Amino acid sequence: MPQQPQAQPSPTPPKKKKIRVPRVVNGVEQMVEIEVDDVAGPGWGPNDKHTLLNHRMTRVDGPLKVSGAAQYTYDIRLPNMLYGRVVRCPYAHAKIKRFDSSAALRMPGVKAIIQAPLEEFRFAGSPVAAVAATTPELAQDAARAIVVEYEKLPHAVTADAAIKPGAPRVLPTEGPGGEENLTQKGKNGELPKVEAAFATCDAIVEAEYRTPRLHHCCLETHGMVVDFSGGDSATIYATTQGTFTIPGDAARELGLPQTAVTATVQHMGGGFGSKFGIGIEGMMACRLSKETKSPVKLMLTRSDEFLMTGNRSASWTKFKAGVKKDGTFAAMQATQYRLGGVGQGSQAGQPYAVYKVGETYREVYALHTNEDSSVAMRAPGHPQASFAMESLLDELAYKIGMDPVEFRKKNMPDKTYHRQIDRAAREINWTRRNPTPGGGTGPLKRGMGCAAGTWGGGGNDQCKVDVTVGRDGSVVVAVGTQDLGTGTRTYTRAIVAEELGLQIKDVVEQIGNSKLGGANSSGGSTTAASLSPSVKDAAYKTRIAVAEKLSPLLGNAKPEEIIFADGNVSGGGKSITWKQACAALPPAGLTAHGVWRSDLQARGVHGVAFAEVEVDVETGKVRPIKLLQVQDGGLPLNRLTMESQINGGMIQALGMTLFETRVMDADLGIQLNPSFMDYKLPGSLEMPELVPLIDDEDKREVVIGIAEAAIIPAIGAIGNAVFNACGARIRDLPMTPDKILMALAKEGRSA
Amino acid sequence: MSDEQDPKKKSSRYDPSRRKFLKGVGVAGAGAALADHFISPDKTVAASESVTTGEPIAGTVNIALDVNGAKRTVTVETRTTLLNALRNNLEPAVTGPKLVCDMGSCGACTVLMDGKNVYSCLVLAVDAVGKKLTTVEGFGSPEKMSAVQSAFVEHDGLMCGFCTPGFVTTISAYLKKNPNPSLDEVREACKGNFCRCGTYPRVFEAALAAAKAGVSV
Repeated sequence: MPQQPQAQPSPTPPKKKKIRVPRVVNGVEQMVEIEVDDVAGPGWGPNDKHTLLNHRMTRVDGPLKVSGAAQYTYDIRLPNMLYGRVVRCPYAHAKIKRFDSSAALRMPGVKAIIQAPLEEFRFAGSPVAAVAATTPELAQDAARAIVVEYEKLPHAVTADAAIKPGAPRVLPTEGPGGEENLTQKGKNGELPKVEAAFATCDAIVEAEYRTPRLHHCCLETHGMVVDFSGGDSATIYATTQGTFTIPGDAARELGLPQTAVTATVQHMGGGFGSKFGIGIEGMMACRLSKETKSPVKLMLTRSDEFLMTGNRSASWTKFKAGVKKDGTFAAMQATQYRLGGVGQGSQAGQPYAVYKVGETYREVYALHTNEDSSVAMRAPGHPQASFAMESLLDELAYKIGMDPVEFRKKNMPDKTYHRQIDRAAREINWTRRNPTPGGGTGPLKRGMGCAAGTWGGGGNDQCKVDVTVGRDGSVVVAVGTQDLGTGTRTYTRAIVAEELGLQIKDVVEQIGNSKLGGANSSGGSTTAASLSPSVKDAAYKTRIAVAEKLSPLLGNAKPEEIIFADGNVSGGGKSITWKQACAALPPAGLTAHGVWRSDLQARGVHGVAFAEVEVDVETGKVRPIKLLQVQDGGLPLNRLTMESQINGGMIQALGMTLFETRVMDADLGIQLNPSFMDYKLPGSLEMPELVPLIDDEDKREVVIGIAEAAIIPAIGAIGNAVFNACGARIRDLPMTPDKILMALAKEGRSA
Repeated sequence: MSDEQDPKKKSSRYDPSRRKFLKGVGVAGAGAALADHFISPDKTVAASESVTTGEPIAGTVNIALDVNGAKRTVTVETRTTLLNALRNNLEPAVTGPKLVCDMGSCGACTVLMDGKNVYSCLVLAVDAVGKKLTTVEGFGSPEKMSAVQSAFVEHDGLMCGFCTPGFVTTISAYLKKNPNPSLDEVREACKGNFCRCGTYPRVFEAALAAAKAGVSV
């Protein structure tokens, strides 16, 4: 009789709990309920008791990046690799009448030409075709030689044109994705109550605020290298925020099983929300590779990047708001238009989350134009909503003659902000601000402003981490997560090193590869709070597993009581070095697997920014003097990189407030500035003094992401500082000299 | 980048507008205009016939480039930029300098040509023959960083790192010229380099710290 396999005793199922966590879909956070094991292990401990974390650690990939040795997707070159190039539609709305690639195909070095799977193009820049050739120069020649004839159709590329009755239709009338140019998306509150509240107010402000369409301007353009030569597997080198968003889509295009496709990203040159999935450029790269049975590198050109990879949606907000003399913000009516081009756009609902307003009513609309779809961009929807709200708050404060700081505090229910705003006001010396907007003599006027922001930054349970210790004492931590330049590698090493009483240099990481442990996409500031608990869990389990092996050598000390510190392992009155300890491990060493623990992370951060600017009322030019931001985030994993990220947020906020805008030609329907010559980024000459301040009064012993939070508050702060300086309110970003001079003229304040 | 790279101020052989023009007219025009630069000490340049006949050069030419102290032979088209030659044609590639704007506005492709910083996307590879080229790789390696490179790491003058090679190169060249700069001079020196992550303040700190350390490159 054959032997029956012995039934395994079923382990007691761990207790479960349901929690709500953010998941990122195309860069946008969505809250979902998940069930996780209800386990709580040792926590991070007090924020001020760490040996590595919450210190200033230089980034471990720094030496590679400063010496040109870091390899980005754009740097990959493979034998027999072809170069891809995209052909774009030059019209805002058109259909193809004739497509002739025969001449292009006959050109030397040209290996394949494919058409995009579209018949009708709804924005200028929409990809039409792609070519693969042996050099980038030849690919460019071939792209030019493709003949496309279009039937031009009517378009609307500005909000004012698209909202007019009888405006050209942007989207199809019916079917998926079909809707009117102006489509209501939401309604909140009761208008009669708001109107009744207005009647009780001492002051009313009605104002409209606009923010333009902005570009991510990742220095490394979108694209990928498809390493496929017709075999049964492929590797995709992708510049992506989501390593695990690549294999499935690429496999479909290549006709391979998903498990046969590996995605890898070792270093990537900026994403800011725009790099999830393979994108249409990735789809075309895969198709070219499949057709030619050759590796294909398709990196977009800078103009492609401006025209077809998405952008931050523009916004248009109409407010009516009422306050009482004591500063109570009693009533608000808001109409919000999200200008997402052919996409939906995003804008946080009003009143912006930081503030409490008595009675509120809002209507939210999508307003479509013939422009490429907005995509997620650092804190989707928040900068737009925050700028409008913070400007409005300022207008209300000045209208009733109240200090803008006091007015904000009066209407901020969360006391964390009070602590932060008081500190920031002290740091910048708020009391020396211009007492009268536009006051003072001479053409150079200085002013100050402030604003606040919030974000989630919690994690989810997608990260799986392995820590392996070799018998020689070497330690490797393997995570699938990509490092966007936020310092992921560095804190990953540090968590493991700190747990094992080692130094950062004693640990190496494997990262950014879909064959390593599963990981979430880096969107919604969810990476740190998703990854670090899993790393901590793996590191803790490693420590205990090593301790169990060592206990007999250390007077049978309890594994939990064995101390790992300063490169030594101590217990039972004895101490040995880490290397000696590891020699006691089995020949294969030891691997521990870490999973996410919800108790090591949380959601919800607070930040306050103050700005000081100087406005030249003769030229309208704004000179930023100082930007200061107080930001909390639970346990700062690495103070150095956290400060850098806050700096980065303030600088991008500066760009949005003063410089950046997509410029469209309403008649031609095209973007006039799809290049770094004409799209003005903040540069070295415009840098103010930047003061990133970590709010250490936040004693939460949890990890929370702050990347997106960092960009939000400085926009309103700079705008309000401009008003305080010159006395003219600019309600339409960016605050360029022409707008400032016009506003000064309107106010009768021209120099 | 320093004033030498300001297109408004100079019309040298490496004038950006000139290269743009050449790129625009394509291979034939470029060849004729460039024929006089194809003289190379080791005679790897195969354009001598064109030089004598004045015929346009089409297709590819073999050239020798002096990159970080090594003589490198490479086949390029006459219109191939120095940046693309480094990244796409040299074997093995030199990928420290990055292609970002391809029009001389962002500085990510900055290299030194005979000690002067240039946008390598605005220089034709054939124009770099006979010049001493230094890329970011030429200043140091991850194991042996230069003072400027170490200062960038120490002061966290980088995030995604894609602009970093350009900044390191620009600042290394500038500190040679001005070993003791003020903050404003550093800002001015790197006004031709863009960063999107927002590393400027710490790039400035790194430059000043490297200068203070007294070793420029």
